Amino acid sequence: MEKYLIKEEALEKTREIKEADLLVGIPSFNSAHTIGHVVQAVREGLSRYFPDNRSVIVNCDEDSTDGTMDVVKNTAVNSSGAASLSHKGNHVFIIVTPCHGLPIKGNVFRTFFEIANMLNVRACLVVDSDLKSITPEWVELLMKPLLVEGYQYVAPLYYRHKYDGTITKNIIYPLTRSLYGKRIRHPMGKDCGFSGELARFYLSKDIWGTDVAKFGLDIWMTTTALANGFKVCQSFLGTKIRNAKFVNTDLSSMLYQVVGTTFNLMEMYEQVWSTVSGSEEVYTVGSQRAVGMEPVFINLDRMIDKFKLGMKELLKIWEVVLPEETMNFLYRLTYMQGREFYIPDEVWTKIIYSFAIASHRNVFNTEHLIKSLTPLYLAKLASFVRETWESSSSEVEEKIEKLCLVFEKEKEFLIKNWRVERK
Amino acid sequence: MDKLFQKVIIEPFHMFFENILQFLPNFLTSLLILVIGLILGRVLNTIFLRIFRAIGLDKLSERSGVVDLIRKGGIKDSVSVLLARSVRWIIVIIFAIIALRALEIPTIEGLFERFLLYLPNVFVAAIILLFGYLLGNFFGRAALIASVNAGIKIAGVIGKFVKFTVFLLASTMALEQLGIGKETIVIAFAIIFGGVVLALSIAFGLGGQDTARQYIERKIKGGTEEEKKDEISHL
Repeated sequence: MEKYLIKEEALEKTREIKEADLLVGIPSFNSAHTIGHVVQAVREGLSRYFPDNRSVIVNCDEDSTDGTMDVVKNTAVNSSGAASLSHKGNHVFIIVTPCHGLPIKGNVFRTFFEIANMLNVRACLVVDSDLKSITPEWVELLMKPLLVEGYQYVAPLYYRHKYDGTITKNIIYPLTRSLYGKRIRHPMGKDCGFSGELARFYLSKDIWGTDVAKFGLDIWMTTTALANGFKVCQSFLGTKIRNAKFVNTDLSSMLYQVVGTTFNLMEMYEQVWSTVSGSEEVYTVGSQRAVGMEPVFINLDRMIDKFKLGMKELLKIWEVVLPEETMNFLYRLTYMQGREFYIPDEVWTKIIYSFAIASHRNVFNTEHLIKSLTPLYLAKLASFVRETWESSSSEVEEKIEKLCLVFEKEKEFLIKNWRVERK
Repeated sequence: MDKLFQKVIIEPFHMFFENILQFLPNFLTSLLILVIGLILGRVLNTIFLRIFRAIGLDKLSERSGVVDLIRKGGIKDSVSVLLARSVRWIIVIIFAIIALRALEIPTIEGLFERFLLYLPNVFVAAIILLFGYLLGNFFGRAALIASVNAGIKIAGVIGKFVKFTVFLLASTMALEQLGIGKETIVIAFAIIFGGVVLALSIAFGLGGQDTARQYIERKIKGGTEEEKKDEISHL
């Protein structure tokens, strides 16, 4: 008998449904205030844009304590008038289930992949439960390229403020682009679409007990699709507004999670990225609009102070990791004031590549290594903010494009040093 | 004259010769054991060196800071070489002890018996010290990085304090294992550690009362402009 890693009740409901065309996964944790709106938008999107398809909405919950699952159940009942949790209304079924095993992102997504596999669906999409800005159009934008145009992975593209997603802008996007050669602007976007075939491929990968399953699933899904030759595109979804309580404030943990996972994936796909040079555009659905620039509060002095403290205390770590010329620049940077305080793209690229190499060589404990990057990231952020304070969003995009080109140009440094054993 | 010559010269010489004849088999056995020990030591040195290199012990040691410790001590060999050499000399010493016992000299036998009984304590103490050093480095570095990222000005002091506290604790345990000053060491550790904590508490209390008052006032009255968080979403 086959063993599924999903709860018995969800398994029963999946068997009752037997087959479906589309699956929408909604992972949730304490999202009682927003998840009702998300479920409604998804239902409407499915009914409006894919009325002839059998669809399933799966809410998999990570041990919420605020009644998130009850909200989903009530939303299902209210919108159809039916008393059952799993019911048929416009061919949209709803499965509500707690996650199997430890309440981590990996187990939640594994539930989606398992159900997608059992129902033999053609296309899936996943949307966050804390979204305030989701509209029914998101379902069409993420599903249509899969069903009509033959794409296998649809990454999201959002309209964001110039100082939103600064780790993505300064590290993850340039690094992923130079590694795998595709210009996916938001490789860590949580709302994405993927084919049934790709869902089965994800399910076959053995990452479920690792750190990737705990906190790096978004970048893993994108990277896996890119590195294994799946047909990838991106879709403009508009503005992404989330419930504020979900914003994590511990910067060094954030860096460890996302940068650590990206470095981990570099180990996994070394054979792929080491042969790629340059990058190419990917097909993009929808047209991009410029974003309004509301003024935001940023304390640059505090960021620079943290960098200087890092220079004083973490020097011994950085001296092992970074090349001599980069260290010489950092010594000079410590004495730079005001507008002078600037990290050129070449130096920043060397810093990120050097940390990737140090992680590969196990120079230090990986968590210590990546958390020690925090003051350097803050220095880069301070430099980026100084440089772009007066810039429009298109000018900021131009600067990011320049940074990406430097990442691509300097990739030789990464490849050369990656293969050199530590002395 | 002949008798005197017989008694003074021949008999002692004869006895000495007999003793030598009696001792010679033991001596040869002892020598053979020692030679076997030397050969076995060399063979095991080569085998263990290959095993340590195959499991990547040198990389692991560099990561954990053992290499730094060794280099600070002026040793340039790799950890694999040092450990393999230790295995070799342990074998040689064990065979040397067996060889000395084979000589059947009562004084040496008693001395080595006591030495042998004490050896496990030395071994356990060395392991405790090594782990203490590794853990001290690990937690010290973790505390240092966390303090820097939190913007604490005395991050370096915090890192060193954590590192030395862990190592001090390990040293106390190692000395206790060796049976050196048993209770005295534990009491001394408790006094020193308690004293340091008390001194720090008083220093913080007296030196930081203004800062503490300001902090509490800020917490109660709400954040000032300086405390305001950056409106940046990093992800």
